[in-house]
Amino acid sequence: MTGYFVRRFLLIIPTFIGITLLVFAITRVVPGGPIERLMTQIQLGGETGALHRSQGGGTLSDEQLDELKRYYGFDKPMLSSYAIWLKKVVQFDLGLSTRYQDPVWQIIKERFPISIFYGLTTLILTYVVCIPLGLAKGMYHGSALDSWSSAVVFLGYALPSYVIGIALISLFAGYWDIFPLGGFISDNYDDLSTFGKAADIFHHSVLPLIAYLAGSFAVTTLMMKNSLMDNLSSDYMRTATAKGLSRGESVRGHALRNSLIPVATSFGNNISLLLGGSFLIETIFNIDGIGLLGYEAIIERDYPIVMGILVISSLLYLIGNILSDICVALVDPRIRFGGRGAA
Amino acid sequence: MSLLSVQGLSVAIRGDDGVLHELVSAVSFDIAAGETMGLVGESGCGKSLTAMSILDLLPKPQALRSAGTLSFKGESISSASPRRLREIRGKNIAVIFQDPMTALNPVQTVSQQISEVLAIHFPEQSKKCRADRVLSLLHEVGIPAPQERLSAYPHQLSGGMRQRVMIAMALACEPDLLIADEPTTALDVTIQAQIVRLLKGLQAKNGMAMLFITHDLALVSQVSDKIAVMYAGKIAEYGSAQQVFAKPHHPYTQSLLAALPGAHHPPKSPLLALEGQVPAIQDMPKGCRFVNRCPHAADICREEIPPQDITTDATVVACHRWKEIAQ
Repeated sequence: MTGYFVRRFLLIIPTFIGITLLVFAITRVVPGGPIERLMTQIQLGGETGALHRSQGGGTLSDEQLDELKRYYGFDKPMLSSYAIWLKKVVQFDLGLSTRYQDPVWQIIKERFPISIFYGLTTLILTYVVCIPLGLAKGMYHGSALDSWSSAVVFLGYALPSYVIGIALISLFAGYWDIFPLGGFISDNYDDLSTFGKAADIFHHSVLPLIAYLAGSFAVTTLMMKNSLMDNLSSDYMRTATAKGLSRGESVRGHALRNSLIPVATSFGNNISLLLGGSFLIETIFNIDGIGLLGYEAIIERDYPIVMGILVISSLLYLIGNILSDICVALVDPRIRFGGRGAA
Repeated sequence: MSLLSVQGLSVAIRGDDGVLHELVSAVSFDIAAGETMGLVGESGCGKSLTAMSILDLLPKPQALRSAGTLSFKGESISSASPRRLREIRGKNIAVIFQDPMTALNPVQTVSQQISEVLAIHFPEQSKKCRADRVLSLLHEVGIPAPQERLSAYPHQLSGGMRQRVMIAMALACEPDLLIADEPTTALDVTIQAQIVRLLKGLQAKNGMAMLFITHDLALVSQVSDKIAVMYAGKIAEYGSAQQVFAKPHHPYTQSLLAALPGAHHPPKSPLLALEGQVPAIQDMPKGCRFVNRCPHAADICREEIPPQDITTDATVVACHRWKEIAQ
C-alpha cells in the first residue's frame, strides 16, 4: 500500500508537467499578450507614464520590440522558455508579475491567509453540516425535517452564489446595516485586542461565508442521505437488528461507516476548494483573495501570476486526489491499493 | 408446551397504491424445543416473510404483520415491547440469512461482528471472556485457523466461510430457536452439505430448535422432524416430515414430490414440472389458491376456502378433496 502511494506521488510529476505545459502553450498562442497590450497602449498614446520603455505616442522600434520580447521571454522557442520557467519553479521562483513587477510568490502569499480562511471554513462547515444533516434526513426520510431541509438546501443550490451575495449585501449591509459592506478586516484592525480581531474577522466573514456555503450543502448532504438510505435497507442492517441492536445503535455501529465511503471519495475534489475562491463573491464582498487575483491576472494577461496560481492549485488538486484515496482506504477495508492481485 | 407457537399469522405488503396485499395468510404452526421444523415452498410463497415476521424483521414500512399471535415459551412476542423484542433477538431466537455475501457488515472484522452479539446481551462479560468465546465459536463452526480469521473482513472469506461466521454469530448466545432462512441457497452443493451437517451437529449439541426454510425438498427431508408446505402464502400441508413425505395428501405436495428428479429416473428423461403459475396477488382465487394448477380441482375448490383437515396420519391438509384423492 505504501508503494502504491509512493507511485501516486511520483505520478504527480508528469501530470504536473502536462498541466503546466498545456497552459503555458495557451498563454503563447492566445492573442492579446503583454506585448500586444503594450503596443496598443502606446499606439493610443494612453497612460504610458508607468511604462518607462515607451517614448510616448507613435510605435515601437524593432529594437524596442526585441527588447520587450526578451524581457517577457518571448524571444526563445516555446519549449525552451517553458524549460526555463520550470527550472525556476523547481527552485520556488515563480518569476515577476508583469503588472506589479513584484515577485509572484510574494503577491500570492499575501492573499493566502484570506483564501485559506474562507476555503478551510467552507470545507469544515460543509462537512460539519452535511454529514449530520444527511444522516438525519436519511433516518427520518419523508419527515417534515427532511422535506424542509431539502427545500432550503436546493434553494441554496439553485441560486447562483453572486445573487445570494448581492441579496445579502443589500439586506444586511445596506438596508439593516448589521454587517460591513465588504473587506476582510476593518481599518483599525491593528489596534484591536486578540478577541476583538477575531470578532472583527467573524463580523466581516459572515455574509461571504453564507454566499460561499449556500450552494455547497446540496451535493454532500444528498450524497450522505442517499448513501445512508442504501445502507439502511441492506442485508447487514437486518443482521444487526436480528442481533438485538436498536435502530439508533445499528445506524451508528454499522450503517454510518459504510455510508461515509462515497463522501470520503469526494473529499479530494473538495480540498481544491481550499484555494479556489469564487472571484464573483470576492468581487462582490471586496475580498482580496486568490480567486480575484487569478481573474484579474487573466484579464490583464499577467501570465507569471496565472502560471503561479496554476502551479499551486494543480498541486493542491493532485495531492487532494491522493488524500481522498487515503481517506477511502481508511474507511473501507475492501480497498487495498497496490499489492499484486489485490482488489 | 411448544417453544414457539404461531397462530393465524398474516403478513401484508402495502403496494404503491397504498392498498394492503396479504402475502401470507393465516399461517399456524408450532415448534417444540429441540425440534426442527422445515418450511418449504417455491420462491415467493411467503416462507421468508413468515420467518422474518417472527422477530419483526420485515422490511419496513412496506411489510407488516396484519394478524396472528406469536408466543415464545408462553410469552406473547407479537405484542411484546420493542425493548423486550430486542432482548429476545440474538439471545433467545437467532437468525441466519440466505445470502452470506451481503448479510455481514463489509467494514467490520469477523471478531467485531461476533463479539457484538455478546456485548449486546452480556454487557457484564469482560473483553477477554468475549474474545475467548468468539475464538471457540469459530472453532466450533469449523473455520480452519480461527485465530487468523478473527481480524479478517468478510470480503476475505469464501461464501461457505461467511455462512459459518453467520452461524457462529447466531449461536453466540446459545439461542433456544434458530431461524435458518435458506442458509444454503447461495452456496454450492458440497458446501451446502457441510453447512447442513454442521447445523445438525450444533443443534444436537446445544439442544436448540430450528426453523429451517428452504425450497429444496431433498434437503428438508434430511433435516426436519416436522414439515410445513406453503403455497401462495398459505400452508397446504403440515405434519411430521416422515408422514408428509411418505404419504402426501395435498395435490400440491404430491406434484412437488413427483417433480423431484431422482437417481432412479432413466438418464435424460424429461423433468416433470407443475403446469401453470402461481396466481398474482391481485387475482387470488376466491377458494383454494391452488385451484388453477390442481389436477383434481372441482367446483367447490373455486368457491370455498378449504378447511384445515386433520388426516388419518395426524397431518394437517388444506384441501377439499384430499379424501377422494387418496382413494
